[in-house]
Amino acid sequence: MDSQKVKIILQTNQFGNLEVEEDSIYFFPNGVLGFEDYKNYVLISEEGTAPFKWLISIDEPSIGFPILSPFYLDSEYNIGKNIDLDNNVLFVIITLQDQNGNMSANLKAPLIFNIKQMTGEQLILPFEKYLTNYIITRESKE
Amino acid sequence: MLVLSRKIGEDVKIGNSVTVTVLSYDRGVVRLGIQAPKEVAVHRKEIYDKIAELNKIAAKSQLTKLKDALNSNHLIFNANEVNLAIPKNNGSKSNY
Repeated sequence: MDSQKVKIILQTNQFGNLEVEEDSIYFFPNGVLGFEDYKNYVLISEEGTAPFKWLISIDEPSIGFPILSPFYLDSEYNIGKNIDLDNNVLFVIITLQDQNGNMSANLKAPLIFNIKQMTGEQLILPFEKYLTNYIITRESKE
Repeated sequence: MLVLSRKIGEDVKIGNSVTVTVLSYDRGVVRLGIQAPKEVAVHRKEIYDKIAELNKIAAKSQLTKLKDALNSNHLIFNANEVNLAIPKNNGSKSNY
């Protein structure tokens, strides 16, 4: 007999009802900056928005961060310490529209997910070269 | 706010595991040494505030806005060009 996987249904405004398996939930012991009390998250892909993904709070499903692998923006992205890339994945949080209408990525404070332990945290990199607001939209030339 | 006066070389202990040492003072700049376990985050406050603010904005992101941006083709990268190892897609959407 197959063991029943524990699932929860997350009701979200933007993504409908999400069926989340308990063992797909990431635990962030420190939450993310500004949201330290929200420690449980699920990573989802939404049809039509690849390669972006979304990090949704289990505790407050109205909270969803668009995220992107930093290697789309900088193939040499380096957090400054050796990480085991078999078990760890990096993502950066995206601001869809800043005050100038640009989309930007926070390269300075990436999210690191340990997919073996199902944990995550937001790091702050001590390097000036990585911006909190790295612009990722081109101006259209009309 | 608790206000303490310290001389150079003196410490402040916070909780069980954090110790702050006043290392030096020179021309208006105080250098502090902070000993804390790695699970305790230590940041310059203005950087913390800036990132917390960006996170708060990002947390309210609208899916429709992202779709519009992708359709407008104004992104600096080509989504199809990079082949990456990505974590398993664990959340599946089901419509009720």
